[in-house]
Amino acid sequence: MNRSDETLREALRGYSAKITESHPVPPSSVIWLRAERRKRRLAVERAERPLRIMQALGLVCAVIAAGWLLFQAGSLHPLPAFRTAVLVSAFASLLLVVAGCWTMVLASRRSL
Amino acid sequence: MQTAAETGGAALAGALDGAPADSSAMAFSEAEFQRIYDANAGPILGYLTASTALRDIADDLLQETFCRLLVQGKSGMDADALRRYLFRIATNLLRDRWRSGEGRAFDEPAEAGAITDLDASIDVRAMLEHLNPRERQLLWLAYVEGMDHAEIAAATGLGRLSVRTLLFRARSRAKQFLSARGELR
Repeated sequence: MNRSDETLREALRGYSAKITESHPVPPSSVIWLRAERRKRRLAVERAERPLRIMQALGLVCAVIAAGWLLFQAGSLHPLPAFRTAVLVSAFASLLLVVAGCWTMVLASRRSL
Repeated sequence: MQTAAETGGAALAGALDGAPADSSAMAFSEAEFQRIYDANAGPILGYLTASTALRDIADDLLQETFCRLLVQGKSGMDADALRRYLFRIATNLLRDRWRSGEGRAFDEPAEAGAITDLDASIDVRAMLEHLNPRERQLLWLAYVEGMDHAEIAAATGLGRLSVRTLLFRARSRAKQFLSARGELR
């Protein structure tokens, strides 16, 4: 190593010492907490993945079923006349689904 | 409207937030991490500060480097391998930052950076600014961290021969710059 290399090395090391002196590192606990939060977020994302897949599959199935029903009703068969019992059951089901969704929303808001 | 997945996820996040921290899920124990951090945080911060000349960014990248070590790192590495691994993470973060075009290194004026070389015969900051990012990194690893070509290759992801060539070029450019300013004979 020649003299100019040595001078360059000393200058860079001096600069490094000044950085260390004037710029202290943050405490490690900050990073530990950040890593813990990230671990949790990754765990949540992993847990959510099957739910999201099922949601997407459900949506696709619903669209296909709706298309098929419309095609059947429109082209070949007239819509059947709904009886009171069927209407009451459909309304009750809808009510239960809405109540279930509302409960989940409330539960998630409480936990946040 | 909140979807079922979001609702379930939020509820799960809430449940996990309430739970005690599971440090066994981390790559290292807290005491082990503290030891690694004490040994390496200073050199990594110096490397990041010299590469960007932006204190806030260097701080942020330092935290991200050690955060990635905790979340993705493997335990059982010896001290040297761990050091190289940390420099590799830091180098990748710097590269990602430059590629995404988020701000430019040395945008911050020297006064704000507060690291000047008024008492030294060589203006290192000006020299580093003159070099391109890769040259800055190579010079720093070779001269400040004292790494050999193989270690620099492991820390930057470059080939050993490329390191040799690029380091030679970086050294020449640095010397040329300093000689032109009369700071190096």
